[in-house]
Amino acid sequence: MSTEGQPFPFPSIYSFPPFFTRQPNSQTWTSQLSLWSSLILGYCRYNRIWRIDLNTAIEWDLFSNKEINRSLKLDTCREILDSMVKKGNAEWVSGSGRDAADKNLSAIIFWRRPEEWANMIADWIDSTGQRNAILTFYEISDGDLSFSQDFRGIDATILRKALDILVRRGQAQIMRSADGEVAGVKFFGVQ
Amino acid sequence: MGISSSRPSRRITKQDNAILNMKLQRDRLQQYQKRIQVVLDRERDIAKQYLEKGDKERALLALRKRKYQAQLLTKTDSQLETLEKLTQSIEFALVEKDVLFGLQQGNQVLKEINKEMSMDKVEKLLDESAAGIEYQNEISEMLADTITNAEEDEIEEELAALQREEIAKRIPSVPTADLPEQETENAEEESEEEERVSERNRGRRQPALAA
Repeated sequence: MSTEGQPFPFPSIYSFPPFFTRQPNSQTWTSQLSLWSSLILGYCRYNRIWRIDLNTAIEWDLFSNKEINRSLKLDTCREILDSMVKKGNAEWVSGSGRDAADKNLSAIIFWRRPEEWANMIADWIDSTGQRNAILTFYEISDGDLSFSQDFRGIDATILRKALDILVRRGQAQIMRSADGEVAGVKFFGVQ
Repeated sequence: MGISSSRPSRRITKQDNAILNMKLQRDRLQQYQKRIQVVLDRERDIAKQYLEKGDKERALLALRKRKYQAQLLTKTDSQLETLEKLTQSIEFALVEKDVLFGLQQGNQVLKEINKEMSMDKVEKLLDESAAGIEYQNEISEMLADTITNAEEDEIEEELAALQREEIAKRIPSVPTADLPEQETENAEEESEEEERVSERNRGRRQPALAA
């Protein structure tokens, strides 16, 4: 999985100064958007980042290249994430909803689509003989058995989405704890 | 797996909920342990800092706190163990229940099949088939009686004719085509070879003769 310690190998476009400025030509902007989108997805996948909070993320090396002294503006960054949301590669997380400015600042990044996560979890359940087993969400993301899995430490929202897909397929059922909180899942065999 | 998936209950049972609650409790304990571990490390740092400043009293206090947290950690460890053991026993009991269910079903099927094969039925069936065989034999006898000796001879004759025909078919026909040319060349070579061999033999034989 992720080669820890080594920094993410940025593509050559990352060292191209105009890449960090929103291009006025709409055609150029479209291709710039898709380049940024794949860069963000690759970066998040490499570093296993599940959420981007623009307040802090804007200072990451992802959005600012110190070597060429260029960085992305917050608005441009938001626009890029917005296009990713439209393509289904990300999803805005509504903050605590205190004010409108709070909105569209934090996003979940789907560097794998929920369907992929769902398949991966279903395969893992099969291969570890956990059909008909009851698992807590914490057990899936941080348990002993999921240690070497790609979904290790998966964001709760993404996990829930993936599990919902399995529920729709009839492969699982969401369970509530005694205090009514959604907390676990029961898996069934594949039929 | 076949046993449990053939069960109609694809629902959450009471046992499932009990397992979930225990697992949730276990998760909480594990998270609590993580937190204590962080505090443990922190108190150690604090103690170090106070020692550097020369405040021995506070360093001791921090270490005392650390000791207390460490005790908590061992306590939660044993709690965690109990919880996990119980969860595993329940899960194993459920597996056993599945096995029992499978055995029951198998037993029932076997009973039903045996019911269909009652002794009376088998006896009756055997009687019936014996009667059938007897009847068949009678018919054969009756048919055999109707054939006269003369007719029997004719039948024998026919059989012999058929056998002759069969033998005639089995004997292969004599080939009419010429032999391929290459073989004749080979044959020549072979004869030359033979000559040479015989010459050599003669040469060898002569001294033998002389001797």
